[in-house]
Amino acid sequence: MKRLQLQRWSSSALSSRARTGGRLQRHLYSGTRLQSTNSYSLQDQSLGQQLAPPSATSDVPKFTKRQLPSPPAEAARESAKLAALHARLYLPSRLPLETLARCLVDASADPSAQFNNQSLAVLGNDLLSNYASEHLICTYPRLPLTVIFAAMYAYVGPKTLLAMSREWGVEHAAAPGGEVDPGLLQYKRLDPGAKPDAEPLVGTTRPNEDQTTWRRSITSSVVYDNEFGDPERAASPPAELSDEPFLMNDKGPAPVTPEAASATFARAVMGAIYLHAGRPAAKRFFEQHFLSRQLDISKMFNFQQPARDLTRLCARENYDEPVAKIISETGRRSRTPVFVVGIFSGVDKLGEGTGASLSEARARASVAALKGWYLYSPLEVRVPSAMEEDGAAPWKPVYVDLGEVIV
Amino acid sequence: MPVQGIRTVTAARNGVGAFILQCKRLDFHYCDWAGSSRGMVSFLKNQLTAFAKENPQIEIRVSPRPHKHPVIKGHFINGREKAVCVRNLEPEQIFQKANLLKQNSGEKNKRTKKPVTSINESVRGIWSPYHGGLKGV
Repeated sequence: MKRLQLQRWSSSALSSRARTGGRLQRHLYSGTRLQSTNSYSLQDQSLGQQLAPPSATSDVPKFTKRQLPSPPAEAARESAKLAALHARLYLPSRLPLETLARCLVDASADPSAQFNNQSLAVLGNDLLSNYASEHLICTYPRLPLTVIFAAMYAYVGPKTLLAMSREWGVEHAAAPGGEVDPGLLQYKRLDPGAKPDAEPLVGTTRPNEDQTTWRRSITSSVVYDNEFGDPERAASPPAELSDEPFLMNDKGPAPVTPEAASATFARAVMGAIYLHAGRPAAKRFFEQHFLSRQLDISKMFNFQQPARDLTRLCARENYDEPVAKIISETGRRSRTPVFVVGIFSGVDKLGEGTGASLSEARARASVAALKGWYLYSPLEVRVPSAMEEDGAAPWKPVYVDLGEVIV
Repeated sequence: MPVQGIRTVTAARNGVGAFILQCKRLDFHYCDWAGSSRGMVSFLKNQLTAFAKENPQIEIRVSPRPHKHPVIKGHFINGREKAVCVRNLEPEQIFQKANLLKQNSGEKNKRTKKPVTSINESVRGIWSPYHGGLKGV
């Protein structure tokens, strides 16, 4: 199978300096802000024949470090924190320190799309939700959609990404700036006491969003909402990348929470690995850092009326009507009675539960029966992205159930 | 609404997938004048480069601390720090102390009573008084 040339495709996500353009184009770009995710060596060679090689004295004095919103690219090689973070995460050596430094610059610190991690985070978020959702759906083909959304949130949600970036040892800068160590996560902090989501979200992808009393079905959130079932702000068309340098001024972008900034960073690392080291490395990174975390899906169910759901499920699957029977009991007239109730469909016992009253025991038995159905997992799980490996066996369609019962 | 999902956060299991070294920074403090730093100065001159090369995950800082005993401070991912005084120690002993901090988890020392600690569910299950093995009175 032919190797895809990711570097060539991803030129829009990387900065203008990373593009392989003509000599003239490079010459035009060379006067702009000296921050970039790629090194200067290539450019210096080509330009050196015509011009004097851009030295620190010829280009830099236009702006001092303090005027820049985020650290310049050449600072990345001198940061001990950044090199330690690179080694701690076992990032591939093809991922340069400059890109890792760019992953640490949030859009609230540097609004320029060429120097912040926004584009990398968009790519990383898509990869994360793709890998997480295919893992969930193939491993648990009968999970209800609400539980899939909750499990997605548990695997790649912002709270998990915040915890992960803490466990990676990423420290946060007090305030962003060009003079800050590039190994620190840089974002504009909220003022103390400010509420991060005080205003309701407007401009979402959902139609009739102003009608708050309308029912929002779970199926519609598959279409309109994000991977966690939450309403999402509609993507604005990308602004024209200008080569005008952005300098610090009074009004800047909106501040963000540490949770949002850390989540963007973790996603950007994923996107950067994909761009620089390719798809297998990105998938390995996902499996080692995200999928290896522990999640007990059986504790993520919240049933309102389990007995009714079980009846509807048996009707849908053409099983016999479920019947609750007492298997054993003790101390019915005492202060602490215990009933053991089983739910039977025909001769098959679907579930069993204990409780201090008959109705409690029946509800627990129904929950056990429903979890037994929903948490079915096939023995050999193969996800669609396994087909991207070299020499993969032909694809056999995986079993995916209808989902939860509709009541 | 038949069933709702409860939002949680996955729990980290360091070493199951990737292993993150818990020591993130080592500070080496020395004094140029005092005799208790003689071993530390020798360690910094001769062995620290090799130690740093072996452990790229650790950020290393060296700074003088005049008229004080030499100290190695380890900063850990859980936010705690541990300091070891290395006065009058030989370079080999200081290397052992630096290794001790490198391999440390950063947690407070605690006695482990059980041979295995795990967040995984028990394979055998939890004993229930209502199922099997019932004793007649």
